[in-house]
Amino acid sequence: MPDAVTDVEVGCYVYGVVLADADLPTLTGIDGAEVEYVERDGIAAAVGEIAIDRPPGRRKDLLAHSEVVDALVKAGPVVPVQFGSVLADRDSVVHDLLEVDHDYFAGLLEDVRGRVQLNLRASYVEEQVLAEVVQEHPEIAELRERTRDLPSGTMHPDLVRLGEMVSKVMEQRRREDADVVLDVVRPLIVAEADRAGGGIDHLLEVALLVEEDRVRELEDKLEELAEAVHERIRLRLTGPVAPYDFVGGGGGWA
Amino acid sequence: MTVQTQRRGGGGYLERPAPSGLADVIEIILDKGLVIDAYVRVSLVGIEILTIDARIVIASVDTYLRFAEATNRLDLYEKGGKDLTEAIGDLQEGGASKKTSGALKGAKKAVKGAVSGDDDDKGSSRSRSRKRQSADA
Repeated sequence: MPDAVTDVEVGCYVYGVVLADADLPTLTGIDGAEVEYVERDGIAAAVGEIAIDRPPGRRKDLLAHSEVVDALVKAGPVVPVQFGSVLADRDSVVHDLLEVDHDYFAGLLEDVRGRVQLNLRASYVEEQVLAEVVQEHPEIAELRERTRDLPSGTMHPDLVRLGEMVSKVMEQRRREDADVVLDVVRPLIVAEADRAGGGIDHLLEVALLVEEDRVRELEDKLEELAEAVHERIRLRLTGPVAPYDFVGGGGGWA
Repeated sequence: MTVQTQRRGGGGYLERPAPSGLADVIEIILDKGLVIDAYVRVSLVGIEILTIDARIVIASVDTYLRFAEATNRLDLYEKGGKDLTEAIGDLQEGGASKKTSGALKGAKKAVKGAVSGDDDDKGSSRSRSRKRQSADA
């Protein structure tokens, strides 16, 4: 790395950790900085120079980060590092990151080798499932009859009660339905990690770690399931992406 | 039950979008990935602008009101011509007394290759004509 311009403080932005002997690509990352590889004992961090006093992360930074990781994952296993992680310099990357956690990284890289992450979201067809709830619970139907002509947005106790009852029933239903979806998926995956989800139509949001050569099979199974349930449930599968949810990070959404 | 075969290649029921837009990227990477110990980090490039919290359901009055509103909004759909009983009838596998997930359990069976054909009770004509296709077919 050439000497940094001295009057701008620069740091070392970290994208991820990879195997040093992979065929590592030439990439450009955040702020157009070249991606470099800092190596130690068989593992390497993909880093880029970054000005410390730059404005906070913007959307293009997020996209740039994502593109670098996507490119790395094509070359071999990657432990993606959380967006926005900056260390002081290359020395710090070697000593505070690669050396300290060498075995941990080596283990993770082995764990994710040949595997990809897919994100599965199941959502209810809202009106369909709400209709079921009303139909199956006379007390909800009755309460609904009584409250349906109240102006929307009023905090009438009956409305709150109706909402509470509906959300509880949905919650129960969600647990059961999520299990059914997961039962279909589980034989085909290596690991799963819950992702936060919400909204009235939320059913399940989960990251799946899958052997690359089973992705097709997983897609086929999910297609069958999606067809069978499509009148009340939608399934959406994204990826493959780098194993962001399987490297021991993430503070969750809360 | 209509058993259809492969619909791969875009026409399927499984939505299979390629992650592309910012929203997808946020969803995939924000707050995910390996967390480096704070004491060795120099700074975190701010990500505040990207916080999206609407996805968290918190058990609160507000949430309940949203559920209530959605439930009461249902009459729109009914007036739109959907026969509730009929719709539900479709869902209950052989009129199973199970109150929940009848359809899903049926689906699971179907997926496992044991399609049950006993649509016995409910006596009603089962219209399947209003099934919704995913919009991005």
